[in-house]
Amino acid sequence: MRKFISKGSFGAWIRELKETYKLYYPAPADKGWDWSVWEGKQNFFLEGYRPLLPVKYLFFSPEESLAAGEQEPAIVFGVRGCDLRALQLLKKIYLDAPEDVYFRKETLIFGADCTACHEHCFCTLLGDDPWPGEGFDLNFSPMEEGYLVESGSKKGEELLAGRFFTETREEHAGERDERRKEVKKILRKQNQNKVLNLQDLKKHIIEEKIVFRDYGSTCVSCSACTNICPGCFCFFLAEGKEQKVRYMDSCQLKGYHRVAGGANPRKDMTSRFKHRFQCKFYWRPEMQGYKGCTGCGRCITACQGKIDWKHVLIELKPANI
Amino acid sequence: MNRKDTYSTIRTEVLEVIDETPLIKTVSLKPETPLLFETGQFIQFTVYGEGEAPFTPSSSPLVKERFDVTVMKAGRVTERIHRLKPGDKIGVRGPLGKGYPLEDFYDKEVLILGGGVGLAPLRSLLLKLLSEKEKFSRVLLLYGARTPQDIIYKEQFSQWKKMGAEILRSVDKADETWKEKAGVVTTLFDGLKIHPEKGVAIVCGPPIMMKFGTIKLLELGYEPPQIYLSMEKNMSCGLGKCGHCALGKYFVCKDGPVFKYGDIKEIEDIWD
Repeated sequence: MRKFISKGSFGAWIRELKETYKLYYPAPADKGWDWSVWEGKQNFFLEGYRPLLPVKYLFFSPEESLAAGEQEPAIVFGVRGCDLRALQLLKKIYLDAPEDVYFRKETLIFGADCTACHEHCFCTLLGDDPWPGEGFDLNFSPMEEGYLVESGSKKGEELLAGRFFTETREEHAGERDERRKEVKKILRKQNQNKVLNLQDLKKHIIEEKIVFRDYGSTCVSCSACTNICPGCFCFFLAEGKEQKVRYMDSCQLKGYHRVAGGANPRKDMTSRFKHRFQCKFYWRPEMQGYKGCTGCGRCITACQGKIDWKHVLIELKPANI
Repeated sequence: MNRKDTYSTIRTEVLEVIDETPLIKTVSLKPETPLLFETGQFIQFTVYGEGEAPFTPSSSPLVKERFDVTVMKAGRVTERIHRLKPGDKIGVRGPLGKGYPLEDFYDKEVLILGGGVGLAPLRSLLLKLLSEKEKFSRVLLLYGARTPQDIIYKEQFSQWKKMGAEILRSVDKADETWKEKAGVVTTLFDGLKIHPEKGVAIVCGPPIMMKFGTIKLLELGYEPPQIYLSMEKNMSCGLGKCGHCALGKYFVCKDGPVFKYGDIKEIEDIWD
């Protein structure tokens, strides 16, 4: 179902939603946007691109005490296509039986089309689009006078039936497509002359040696890339004083793979570096049906060793094997 | 919370702690609610406030009210487990993972190859097989340890023989008391009449022993799908969520811990 909401009605609608839900939104921050709770006064726009942090941390915390408690009704506004695709993988991992009851699955997801991109974004190189395709309750396409809103779930449809929404006009769909095309053009331009051989990527990841060694040589195992990755889900379950505690963990840390007695199959950095690529483009697609990288480019920005993940992917081709 | 906590533990009492070797103890446990495990499945052993470690029960799955785990002192949590006394309370999560596919073994010659503390999960399997011995054409146990002192379950081998198992044992370093084979466990195959074409082999032990054990089995004529390996990885959540125990595309905790060699032989570094 598709509806339209004007900018004026949008403001009134979110004030009404705030009575029932905790509203997360992308708040303007230094060098981008950051997830913030809407208190009712701040300006609230859905234009822009992915926030600095991935949306995953609104579904589980980087460090949390696993204590009993009800999930607070919440809505996340402005989830971009890249974060949403990664969230599909995370849901598969956390919600497949036995379900992880601490994953905030009740949180409603309101996606939004990108209207610009970060210099490191490369979703189009992976064959993806800078707008959400699935997994949202509602998706917002910013327009001149408001938002074209599409439902992706029953709950979303119910919300669209509310008094703030109007029927779409004939020209809305055209405007949306035009705007989407524009953003895709910007992304293509910033990634021009770069080719990713997606079809053979799995094969190249298995066979490749030199690229992982060369690019991995400046890795300092800081785990910034996995912490900031929307598709990384690994955690360590520990004993707290009164209950279990979950910490986000990283396959890039040396101790991650170590077993009792001290044996460690990934002592060397190159094998850990390669592990991340294997996980994202080979193992997860094969076992969970979703790739673990969605081209948000945050890891490129965060890397202390100045490793450009996108370039590693591009370099993975037969000539380097 | 009315939903069941994903990571909740069953409160469990320590009934008995048996010294097997200077580094290995068997802990007998009584959970508040029976742990209905299949042989080969594992549990997470929680020392409250300290940490967790994964173990496969070493007792028969037919005994419902109590179960054993056999633990080698290898790190912080296992060191703490070694200090447990009867009456202490610990936690158990499980059973987790998949057990041995016993129906695949029916009417077959079942060869069990164990090394060191790797005999722990194999004892559970052996007891289950011997409880329905008529379903298998033959049950053989080939077990190796470093020295005669490192052998676990020392008093129980004669009982298993009486129950119908054929047992051969070796130690890497023999002493004057040792009357059986000296050498690594694969030397037990010398002169042994087996029928790989009608059999399955199950291997558990230290990685190096698993590697050379598997190579030997392949040389003897076992096909990769006939070899079952108990893989050890760093299992944390035990439910296929935390990612630690990745073995190629598999999560050992969820897709294993028992794998057919044929399913994992292409994965790099499986023996590391």
